Amino acid sequence: MRDLVFIAFLVAIFGAGLRRPFIFVLGYVYIDNVAPQRLTYFLLNAVPISQIFAALAFGAWLLIDDKRNSRLAPRQMLLLILLIYCGITTAQADFPDSAWEKWDWVWKALAFAIFLPLTLRTKLRIESLALFMVLSAASIVIVGGIKTLGSGGGYGSLNLMVTNNTGLYESSIISCVAIAMIPLIRYLMKFGTIFPPDWRVTLFGYALIFACLLMPIGTEARTGLICVALLAVLALRFTKRRMLYLTSMAVVGLAALPLMPSSFTERMGSIKEYKGDASASTRIEVWKWTWEYVKDHPMGGGFDAYRSNEIRYNTVVKEQVGGQTELKRVLIVDRARAYHSAYFEMLGEQGYFGLILWLVIHFGGIWRMEVLFRRYRDREADDGRWIGWLAQALQQSHLVYLVGSLFVGIAFQPFVYILVGMQIGLDTYAKRRATEAAWRPIGTNRLSPA
Amino acid sequence: MIDNFSLAVSHGLMLIAAWRLIFRRDLDTEDMPKPGAEAQGLRKGSPRDA
Repeated sequence: MRDLVFIAFLVAIFGAGLRRPFIFVLGYVYIDNVAPQRLTYFLLNAVPISQIFAALAFGAWLLIDDKRNSRLAPRQMLLLILLIYCGITTAQADFPDSAWEKWDWVWKALAFAIFLPLTLRTKLRIESLALFMVLSAASIVIVGGIKTLGSGGGYGSLNLMVTNNTGLYESSIISCVAIAMIPLIRYLMKFGTIFPPDWRVTLFGYALIFACLLMPIGTEARTGLICVALLAVLALRFTKRRMLYLTSMAVVGLAALPLMPSSFTERMGSIKEYKGDASASTRIEVWKWTWEYVKDHPMGGGFDAYRSNEIRYNTVVKEQVGGQTELKRVLIVDRARAYHSAYFEMLGEQGYFGLILWLVIHFGGIWRMEVLFRRYRDREADDGRWIGWLAQALQQSHLVYLVGSLFVGIAFQPFVYILVGMQIGLDTYAKRRATEAAWRPIGTNRLSPA
Repeated sequence: MIDNFSLAVSHGLMLIAAWRLIFRRDLDTEDMPKPGAEAQGLRKGSPRDA
């Protein structure tokens, strides 16, 4: 039954795409995030819908779309270099089989991020992209939010419709992405034109933000909680009464504490994970190992190079002996531990050069969004103020990702590369608009009766 | 049940959005911003195109 509904939905999007080819791009974004083929049991599994929509989106752009003034922005060039470079390291990878497997989805994420800005020629396209990102992630977040309210969730036990823990459905990733989405939701609530601001939009928006905030609680992924804290700090920038804000945040936090499921407070209160101290200590050991590894392999070991690690460390275990608790040191040997950090993932897999490229692409985005924000935030509403505030939202989302990825190996998470593509698209849109406006007689482009 | 509710809400909204986009000329072409031409949200104290 669900299959048929999904097929009907995709056919409707396809039909809309025939009328407005840009909608194919939105369809691809939807499939990339929601992966409807994984929510169904037959039919859709057999059809490569992702490839079909990618081909439609690219083909429509190539054949029909206006390509005047299209050129690659600096960050698109960097993404292209990263893509080629990753291809080279994959060809020389320590573990070719699994490296090619990862390459298979990484190249798509990077290629789409390079392609996406070329299609983002109008304000409405940029807005609709943001809307589709939010709504497609919402299909997971709403489930997570309601189930958390109902049952309290639990690490690895919150059922998000898909059990195979991939893509956005993975606990740590969805809790990071859900928090990163909040600034975008707020932007759409204020500046949306597809769903213009009214009480329904406000109600849905706040409900969705609430569901996003529940994700770290429901999944009990500690990364999410760090992301929430970061977002709260970032909001300080736009708060006039900071003391009042900080006090009310503290009060809300304390008031919420008794309402949290006890497993959540235990998990957050201690630094223990399901393996006792193991999670924290292996992370640090893996990072040490990676640091040593790149000294010998400056170009990195290709995707999944972590598989060659072997980590020995001591962990402290409590043992009950005759009613007394004894602390024992136990030597643990662990093989093939994942990086648990996007930064070390880049370092270990792509070496120094790959890490630097990655950092420039991401922190370059933070910087460009700051430039746009300062340039446009005080403009008149019909003179591009939205550009400033969208840049601000994208910057906050990106910062949440960059902090969340300190502890999760999500260097190539496709959702984030759509975000990067949107940033580049906004940047080139603003530049094009400024160039066009410069050709107009002085004084006409800023005329706006208050 | 919850799964279907969530899927229905999010997919329903995406369908409405796609439907509305079909009829928006400014999806593909954009005029140079004329004064007051662009419909925007959050305009403080400006009931012009409300």
